[in-house]
Amino acid sequence: MYMPGWLTIAKWELMRSKLKFDARSIIMLIISLILVIAASYAASQTGMSMNQKIYMVAFSQPDVQPIIQTDQRFDYMLVDRYKTTVYYEYGADMAIIGNNVYLSDTRKAASAADALENTFIEYREIVLTSYNDVNNSHPVWVTVHDLERPQDFQLAGTESTIDEISRGYNSTAALESVPGGSEGASGDGSVRTGSSTISPEDIEALDAIEGKTFFEKQTLSTPSNFNPPVPFTAILYAFLFIFPIYFVSQFYSTSLMDERTNRKGELILIAPLRSRDVVIGKTVPYLVITMAIQAAITLYILKMPSTLADVERIILVLAAIFPVILLFFALSFYSAILSRSFKELTFASVFLSVVISGYLFFPAMFANIHAISSISPITLIVRLIEGESVPMSTYLFSTLPFYLVAGAVYVFGTSIFREEDLFTQKSIGSKIIDCFEMFLSYRYGSVFFLSIIFIPVVYMTQLMLIVMLFNLPVPYSILAMIVLSALAEEIVKSIGIYTLFKRKLKEITFKNAVRLSILSGAGFFVGEKAVAVLTLAPIASSAFGTVMTMGAMLLIPLLLHVTTVAISSLVMYWKGPDAYKYAVILATIFHSLYNMTILRGLLF
Amino acid sequence: MKTVAKKEFKDLLTEKTFILAIIIQLFIASFSTFLVIGLTSFYDPTALGDVDFEGINIGVVGTENDELYQILIENNVHTYLYDDFIPAYGDFYDRKIDAIIVTPLGTAEGTDLLNVDIYLPKSEIKATVISLQLKESLEEYEQRVRDVRTQRLPGYSPIDFNIIERGVRASSTFFEFVYVALLPLLVFTPAFISGGLVIDFITEEYERKTMDLLLASPASLLEIISGKAILAILIVPLQSFVWMLLLSMNRISISHSLQILLIVTLIAGVLVFSSTIIAVFFKDRGVAQLLYSLVLIFLFMSSYLFTNSPLNLVTRLSINSITAVESWTWTGIYLFLALFLYMATMLVIKKDPHNI
Repeated sequence: MYMPGWLTIAKWELMRSKLKFDARSIIMLIISLILVIAASYAASQTGMSMNQKIYMVAFSQPDVQPIIQTDQRFDYMLVDRYKTTVYYEYGADMAIIGNNVYLSDTRKAASAADALENTFIEYREIVLTSYNDVNNSHPVWVTVHDLERPQDFQLAGTESTIDEISRGYNSTAALESVPGGSEGASGDGSVRTGSSTISPEDIEALDAIEGKTFFEKQTLSTPSNFNPPVPFTAILYAFLFIFPIYFVSQFYSTSLMDERTNRKGELILIAPLRSRDVVIGKTVPYLVITMAIQAAITLYILKMPSTLADVERIILVLAAIFPVILLFFALSFYSAILSRSFKELTFASVFLSVVISGYLFFPAMFANIHAISSISPITLIVRLIEGESVPMSTYLFSTLPFYLVAGAVYVFGTSIFREEDLFTQKSIGSKIIDCFEMFLSYRYGSVFFLSIIFIPVVYMTQLMLIVMLFNLPVPYSILAMIVLSALAEEIVKSIGIYTLFKRKLKEITFKNAVRLSILSGAGFFVGEKAVAVLTLAPIASSAFGTVMTMGAMLLIPLLLHVTTVAISSLVMYWKGPDAYKYAVILATIFHSLYNMTILRGLLF
Repeated sequence: MKTVAKKEFKDLLTEKTFILAIIIQLFIASFSTFLVIGLTSFYDPTALGDVDFEGINIGVVGTENDELYQILIENNVHTYLYDDFIPAYGDFYDRKIDAIIVTPLGTAEGTDLLNVDIYLPKSEIKATVISLQLKESLEEYEQRVRDVRTQRLPGYSPIDFNIIERGVRASSTFFEFVYVALLPLLVFTPAFISGGLVIDFITEEYERKTMDLLLASPASLLEIISGKAILAILIVPLQSFVWMLLLSMNRISISHSLQILLIVTLIAGVLVFSSTIIAVFFKDRGVAQLLYSLVLIFLFMSSYLFTNSPLNLVTRLSINSITAVESWTWTGIYLFLALFLYMATMLVIKKDPHNI
C-alpha cells in the first residue's frame, strides 16, 4: 500500500513520543497536573488577588471591624482610642477615630484611602443586597447600548472608515439596531421605555447580574457596578488559548532538536524522502494535538453547540487560533534548526513567545474599544465569544500576516533542512544566509520576490514597535519609530543582495549592484502597496500608522526604496560585502532623514 | 565545581544567550509599563493630567426638572437637552454629541425602578472616557435616590465616614499595580528563567552524551551539577538588582531592598534545586521542562493561598507593611526550604546510577 512520505514520518513521530514518556514520567506528570488543578481550584476560592495585608489600619470601634474584614488588603488593629493615635504616629497608614479617617502623608496612605473608599462602597452593596427589596435598595439601573456611527479621520486619503473595514458596517442598518430607533423614525414619537419592564425584579436576578462570569459583557448594572469597558477578559482568553501552544511547541522544538543532537536524524535524511515530507510529517502530529486542545477549550467556553450557528462559531474561533499556532510552530521550527544548543533553543523560544504574546495580548486588551485591536486574532476570538459576527475582511486583516510569516518561515527553514546545516556547528548568521542562498538559487528566485516575501515580517515588526515605543514621550517615540522601521526595511531590502555578493552567486560589478537595487526596491514597493491596500487602512489614522503607510504618491516612494537599497549595494560594491553593516546603517540614515522631512509637521 | 561554574558562565556570555535573556526581561518590563500607562489612563484619567473632557458633549433625553439632568449640570458635564430620542440620535450620528442618556421616568419618591439608558459610540476610545465621566454623576444620582428610599428599609443605617485627605493623591489601582504586580514579577522573572536554564545545562550533557566525557575528568557528578546550579542561582540577584535599580530610577521607592534580594536568591535556590532534581531524574529535556512548568504554575497558584508567599512578602517589604519579626520568620522558612531542597538534590545525585 502506498503511503505518502509525510504520513510515515508522522507515524514515527507519534511512536517516538510514546517511547519518551515512560511510566515514571507519566505518573509524575499526572501527579503534578493534579496538584496544579487542586492549587488552582483552591486559589480561585480566595478571590485570586495577591495583595494581602498591604495597608495598616488602626481603629478603636468594634463596629468598623466587619467592614475592614471584607477586604484582605487591610491589616488591622482593634485597640483603644489612645493606642489608635499612638499607632497612627508610628507606622499605621490610617487611623479611624469616631467618624473620621486620618491618613499619614505617604503615597501608600493615599492609596489606602482610595482602597478604603471602595471597600465602603462594596460593603454597602453587600448590606443592601441582604435586604430582599430591590426597588428600595438598588433603585437605579443603567443599561449601556453600543451605537455605531461613522468615524472621522483627519488623514486625507483614507476614505473607508474603521467600521466599514473591521465590522462590515453600513449606516442604514445602524439605525435599525437602535432599540426603538426605527419605530421612532416612523413618527411614533418617544422611545422612553417604562423602566421596570427590563430591570430585574428580584434579588436573584441581581445576584445573577453581579455574579456574572468574566466572560460575559456587561450591559446592565447599578451605577456602583458600572465600569468602563476595559476588557481584561481578553487577556484571560489569550492566556487560556496560548498556554497550551507554548507547551506543545516546546515538545515540537525539542523533538526537532533531538534529531540534530548526535546526528540521530541522519537516518531520516538518508531515507528516500524529500525534506519537505520530513518537515510536514514532524509537524502535523503536534498541529493536530494542539488543535484538539484548542477545540476542547473552545467547547469549554462556548458550551456544547446546539444549533448550526453555534457550530459555525466554534469553527470560526478555531480558524482564528489556527494561524497563531502555525506561527508559533514555524518560529519554534526555525529556532530549533538555528540553535546550536538547548540553551540557545530555550532562549530563542522564550524570546519569540514573549514577542508574539505581546503582539497578541496588547491589542486584544482594547477589544471593545479601538479598531487597532483587530490586528490581533485574539480580538476576533473575544468578539466571536461575545456573540458578534466577524466579517471576512477583518479575519484576513488580522490573520493574513500570521499565515504569510509562518509560511515564509517554514519555506526558509525547510530549504536548509539538510545535512550540512543540521549537523554542523555553523553560526546562526551563516545558516540564515543559507536560507536566502537556497531561495535565490532557485530558477525563479530573485531579490524582487525576496523583498515581497519579507513584507509581512517587516509589517509585524513595525506593529510590534508601536507597542514597544508607546512608552516614550511623543516626539521621541515617533523619531525612534522612524529610525527603527527604516532599519527594518533597509535590512530586508539589502539582505538578498548581500547574500548574492557574499556567496558569489553574482559578480560584484557596478551594473549588477544597480540592477539588483532596482529589482529589490521595486519588489519591496509592490509588496508594501499591496499590504497598504489590503490591511493598513484601519490604523492609518494614528500618527504611527502614518509612518508605516506614508507616501500616498506613488513615484517618490518607489524612487526612495530603490535609492536607499542602492546605497547599501554600492557601498558593498566599493568596500566588499563585509562592509554590509555600515552599508545598512548609511541607508537607514538616509531613509530616516527622508521620512523625517515628510513628517516634520508631526515632529516639530 | 568552581571550574564547571566558570565554564558555564563563559558559555553563557559567548553564546550571547544571556543577552537575549536580558532582552526578554526588557520586553516584559516594557510591556508592563505599557500596561501601567493603559491602566492609569483607564481608571483614573486625571492622573494623566490634561485629558480632554472639554470636547465631549452629552445629549440628555428628558426634561429640565429631571434629577439626573440637574446632577450632570452640577458636575459641569457639557449637556444638550432633547425631548425626543430621534433628534439626539441625528446629532450623535453627525458627531455633534458623543453619547446619549435617556433619563428615567420615575422619581426618587416613587417606588418603581429607575432605568437609565446610555448610548455610547461603539469601538471608540471616547466611550471609555465618557463612561468614566458619567460614573461619578450616576453614583451621585443613585445616592440621592437611595437617601430617600433606604429609609424604607428596616434597620438600615448608611456607613458614614469622613476621610481627611492630606494633599497626597494616589490611585490604589496604580499603586497596587506597581507594588503588587510589577515589582514581584520583575524581581522573580530571573529566578523563573534560571530554573529553566539549569534543566538545559544538565539535560544537554546527557543528550549529547558529553556527561560521560565530563565524568572522565577529575570532576565528580556532584561537582559538575552543583557548579551548574550555583551559577544559575548566582546570576539571579544580579538581574533582580538591576530591575530594582531601574524601578527606583523611575521614582518607585523600594524599602528593604537587601532583604528582598535575599528572598529572591532563596527562591531562585528553591526553583533551581527543584529543576535540578527533575533534570537528573528524567534526563530528557522535553519532559523535564514540562514538569518544571507545571511545578512553577503549582507554586504560583499556591502563593495565593497564604499571606506571606514570596510574591506578597516582597510586596509587603517594599512598601514597609510588615514587621521585622514577621518578615524574617518567613525569610527563615524560605531559607530552610532552599536548604532542604539542596540536601534532596545531593541525595538524588548520589543515588543516580551515573554517579561513579
